[in-house]
Amino acid sequence: MARLNDDAQWIILMGFLISFSFFFLAIVINQSTVVGQTTAESVIEFPKNDIRDISQTISGSVNLLSPDNQTVKQDIVVIALNRKNAVVSYTIIQPAPPSDVHSHAVIHYNNGVTEYNENWTSL
Amino acid sequence: MRLIGGSSRRRTSGSRSYRAQSRTGTRGYGGPGRVNCDGQLYTIEGIAAALLMIMTAYLVVNATSVYTAGDTHISDMQLEQMGSDALKIMDTPLVENEKSPLQEIVENPGSVNNATFGSMFLDLTNLRAGSGSDHIQYTANYTCRIHPGTEIASYPLSYSRNLTLGEHAVRVTKWVTVNKGAVAFCGTTNVERAVLVEVLMWRD
Repeated sequence: MARLNDDAQWIILMGFLISFSFFFLAIVINQSTVVGQTTAESVIEFPKNDIRDISQTISGSVNLLSPDNQTVKQDIVVIALNRKNAVVSYTIIQPAPPSDVHSHAVIHYNNGVTEYNENWTSL
Repeated sequence: MRLIGGSSRRRTSGSRSYRAQSRTGTRGYGGPGRVNCDGQLYTIEGIAAALLMIMTAYLVVNATSVYTAGDTHISDMQLEQMGSDALKIMDTPLVENEKSPLQEIVENPGSVNNATFGSMFLDLTNLRAGSGSDHIQYTANYTCRIHPGTEIASYPLSYSRNLTLGEHAVRVTKWVTVNKGAVAFCGTTNVERAVLVEVLMWRD
């Protein structure tokens, strides 16, 4: 075996250090695939459409008079529970002018995975 | 500069260096397979190369994610989003303060396969830029509560194809407020009602 020249070991050691640090940085970048997927999944599993839909329906019914508002309320609560597996409960507070000219709706939504509460105010 | 085997000063001082001593020591066992300090750099290089290869393989394998059966909900939810958007468009009035097409369809569904719903829903979901359309099929019904009480009833509205139970369908829903005036609807007359339009949609 040829006689080994052991000069420049520091340079080689530094070379190793730098290359390994690059690898650890690469691992960090590597994790972005997994992180991106889990984030996208949790975003997509949020019942955004259900919540928007129910909020829009409830806010559209604030101006109904009795007994229409009670009928719509029973419709929403019963059908949401039976067909959407969601517990929906809401209270509509009519405006009391002149101190407050806005209608309010306090909406609670819970489908077992996501709980959502909203305090809606009319324009 | 040397890392192992003593300082360069000791090495240059002659046969008294650590390395020289160890070599003489190991030589005592004799034979060509003696243990000495030669080839340390080759050893380090070999270990480093092995680590580099293993880590490269690890990174390459990890860079992609395998699409498994459990991941189908990702494409399902894209379909669901498109269906929700289509229903939302259908429940938007064309003229302010008038009824939306979806409200009119639920109020006057006519015979079971409602053609207006079919053409509107399929136009909104199947049309694509470029040539060719998508192959989305659907079956739609609506659910209302029988007043008074907590019983519900579902009525078919429209369908583009019969369900054979082999489809991989997603369900999209839309709340619609309905007022049929003097005509009885789910146990009431002249009362605003909230009904749930449910659509099962799938790609052929």
